[in-house]
Amino acid sequence: MSSSSSPMQSTGRKLKLKSKDDETFEVEEAVAVKSQIFKYMVEDGVSNGPIPLPNVNGKTLARVLQWCQKHADPTITEDELNKYDAGFIDVDQAVLYDLLMAANYLNIEELLKLACMRVADMIKGKSPDEIRRTFNIKNDFTPEEEEEVRKENAWALGP
Amino acid sequence: MLLYFLITCFSFILFIKSLPLKPLPPWADEMRLLPLRFWKDLSLFHISVLIKNTLPSSYLPLVPYNMSLIKKSLSSKVENVAETEEMSVLDLPELALECILERLPPAALCSTAAVCSSLRERCLSDHLWEKHMKRKWDSIIGPAAYREWQWYIALRRDSNNLKQGKHKGLMRLLSLSWPFSSFRSKVNDTGKQRSSLPVDSIMAWYLALETGRFRFPAQVYNRENGNVGFMLSCYDAEVSYDCRTDTFQARYPPHGRRAAAPENGVPWERLRAPPVDTPPHDLHISDSLHELHPGNHIEIQWRRNKEFPYGWWYGVVGHLESCDGNENYCRCQNSDTVVLEFNHYTPGSRWRRTIINRKDHREEGNEADGFYGGIRKLKNENEISTWKRLWPAEVLE
Repeated sequence: MSSSSSPMQSTGRKLKLKSKDDETFEVEEAVAVKSQIFKYMVEDGVSNGPIPLPNVNGKTLARVLQWCQKHADPTITEDELNKYDAGFIDVDQAVLYDLLMAANYLNIEELLKLACMRVADMIKGKSPDEIRRTFNIKNDFTPEEEEEVRKENAWALGP
Repeated sequence: MLLYFLITCFSFILFIKSLPLKPLPPWADEMRLLPLRFWKDLSLFHISVLIKNTLPSSYLPLVPYNMSLIKKSLSSKVENVAETEEMSVLDLPELALECILERLPPAALCSTAAVCSSLRERCLSDHLWEKHMKRKWDSIIGPAAYREWQWYIALRRDSNNLKQGKHKGLMRLLSLSWPFSSFRSKVNDTGKQRSSLPVDSIMAWYLALETGRFRFPAQVYNRENGNVGFMLSCYDAEVSYDCRTDTFQARYPPHGRRAAAPENGVPWERLRAPPVDTPPHDLHISDSLHELHPGNHIEIQWRRNKEFPYGWWYGVVGHLESCDGNENYCRCQNSDTVVLEFNHYTPGSRWRRTIINRKDHREEGNEADGFYGGIRKLKNENEISTWKRLWPAEVLE
């Protein structure tokens, strides 16, 4: 994290980013370094042109940068941050996966953890059938395998 | 003659045209051009493909029929990507999937292992279950329990091998000559390949513990739920877990010929893994006698008579009668005699103190007062505070 200027001041250096669908974003360095990728770039000296991100589309990048902005704000309290995160990650599956992939690609550890925790929460407490329905996964076990797996699972669904 | 031949060709062409509801596969064109050759090459194989192609395409991937027979079940990834090209959780990069699975509690991990084969493969992985084992069972599973587990899986492996040995030869023969999926899956079952949980996996161990199927050696504090006769003692027992009540059932070794009744509802706080590898009927060789001085916390083996198993009893090293307890002048450590005090008994009680000889203490006692055996000096603060926590509310006789 930049030790000198707060991200709210406009004197901080900016990074230019270009999404897969050619949308450009300008973001404060202090915000961008939430991503390890950008952190290394900044430390090594960034090139002048916009950094191309062929794996992230504009919509997702906008969301991710919004999250980084919030998390780079030194005035925000932990409670507010938790509340913000809870609202931020409450999205439908397609958006969730986009965020997860972007966080993975840009190496933003906290966002990746947040998204993974959300998916884990969607799995908890569900039976295998319910999990299949939520995530649209096909059951590819044979009837014999299904039987064996069900016996093992009786414990998990038990009391 | 020629006319007859042309008519059959024609009607055949019409037949071909009317059959499929979707565009003909490429080889069908060849059929139309060379009807004679087609009939020559015809096999059961080709006709069934033709019939298959009349069904809606979403049920059948368009792969050659022989491949789908001989190849093992298709990877679930192909089938799991929905028709509309939406991303599925299975399409996430490995690191992300790992990240998600690591955050699942054991029950959810078990349920996820039952969803589909590719998830199952990941969910069965040892490193995921290692964390859960450590978190829940570390405090009461020790080397003795681990050895019991090795025995348990060795026995199961042996019985599995016996079962498989009978069927393997016949099934393999059948699967080669009759390539239908039902037989193939039977071979898979006896081969125990895709879906079965490896008996030596950590997940298998965790489940065996949780369901109570696996009984293991542990020690129970204040057995028989605060029975006055066992206060501040710790006895060996075979325990099994009851996940409904989150407690254990303890089975104690018999006292002589009298079988001990099992104790139910033993809570986690009253259990521990055996701290030393001494079986309950064996004398523990004391190794810290020369170090003992007043104030030390100890555990000593004690049994009513030589037929009974030992229990471990908590006490402290006290001062000799000749010593007034003043730290600066205390010479108790230099004496051959060590005083052991069990302060949860009243001062007049015969259980309150005992004397042992530092030099050659093994087992001492008689039929009236029981037999005092090996001694362990307690160094671990946790052990000491556990005994203190279990201190009886009232002083005992």
